[in-house]
Amino acid sequence: MTMATEEKPRVVDRARQTTVGRSIFRSPSRSTPRDRAASHWSSFLLHLYPVKVRRKEITFRYSWYLGVISAVLFASLVASGIYLMFFYVPSPASAYADIQSLQTEVTFGQYIRNVHRWSAHLMVFAVAAHMAKVFYRGAYKPPREFNWVIGVVLLVLTLLMSFTGYLLPWDQLAYWAVTVGSEMAGYVPFVGEQVRELLLGGPTVGEGTLLRFYVLHVAVLPVSIVVLLMFHIWRWRKDAMLDLPKEEPDA
Amino acid sequence: MPDETPVAIDGRRVLGVVPGKPVAGERKEPADDDLVMTWPHLLVRHAVAAMSVLLLVLVISVFVDAPLREIADPTNTPNPEKAPWYFAALQELLSRFHPLIAGVLVPGAIILGLVALPYVDRNPYLQARHRKVAITVWTVFMVVWILLTIIGFAFRGPNWGWVWPWDEWHGEL
Repeated sequence: MTMATEEKPRVVDRARQTTVGRSIFRSPSRSTPRDRAASHWSSFLLHLYPVKVRRKEITFRYSWYLGVISAVLFASLVASGIYLMFFYVPSPASAYADIQSLQTEVTFGQYIRNVHRWSAHLMVFAVAAHMAKVFYRGAYKPPREFNWVIGVVLLVLTLLMSFTGYLLPWDQLAYWAVTVGSEMAGYVPFVGEQVRELLLGGPTVGEGTLLRFYVLHVAVLPVSIVVLLMFHIWRWRKDAMLDLPKEEPDA
Repeated sequence: MPDETPVAIDGRRVLGVVPGKPVAGERKEPADDDLVMTWPHLLVRHAVAAMSVLLLVLVISVFVDAPLREIADPTNTPNPEKAPWYFAALQELLSRFHPLIAGVLVPGAIILGLVALPYVDRNPYLQARHRKVAITVWTVFMVVWILLTIIGFAFRGPNWGWVWPWDEWHGEL
């Protein structure tokens, strides 16, 4: 081979060939498809994805990218939510004042609160739309039945996430929306009142409710969503190459 | 009764040929030209989708502030009392039916129905024209639910009475 035909390796590729690069990427070369597959397999971030996907599955009209959109909104909610947690105490004595000072005194407080609020509404919408799109595509059919069930649980968790977060500003909107919403739990036969009191931590929305909803909102529900989401994406990757249901009846 | 001259292939005697599919089931290997590498083809598209949505949120948040009403007052019930928008359909049902139906049976049936869907719908085909029943049922449900949500969100005012959203606005996000 002459020097003329030899391409100069790009900086990224040269970095991968160094001792440190090899220790990070393990598969230093990306020249053949086999190398690229090997480097995909050894990448922590890429391990969520299959190495190859069907050509039609990457198009907009196949998925409208609603799954990845839901996940991104969730990430935006975690990031903005952590910022808000620094300035908020879940007690009726301070919650409302905390939101007020967040909006007037904290740097970017109002903006981050807006990001959190609108991401939350959009996420409920995106998750529901994702479910509808999966239905119309028939992607819940064998072998993917159980991943659909996990998706239903994720939808319910998303609604609970949004509902528990709705109370935290402790304004009239929050208080009465949660009062109405939790009245529904009271209609369950025989155990309705008990379920309602367990949820609210008392006969009406109050101090106990705020603390309970806060703990659910910042710890229990997000951790559950992360765990189930990992399972959901893992199943998606595992199922990527499995035999799909028939496109057409046999002739 | 054994044949007098059994057929032998490679030193093994063939006892019979069984028609049908392989025991393990048929696995369709996708043709190689149907497949593309995830990186860059899918990941670039996902990155564009992700950044577009993020940009949308960041821009909306510049122009629209999250609402904050007066401090919570358990003695002062606002009229109308509204649940968050994603429960507006249930609240609208509650105003029309017995709470046991609208508050327990309907939401319970929806969640159970969604969980059971892939186990009930065993029709193997993907294309809409071979799934008329499933698609009709789903679409009717979705249209009804979206209508109820819009009514509960925007068309209900004091005492849950009917209002026209362009006359008075009672929707809250």
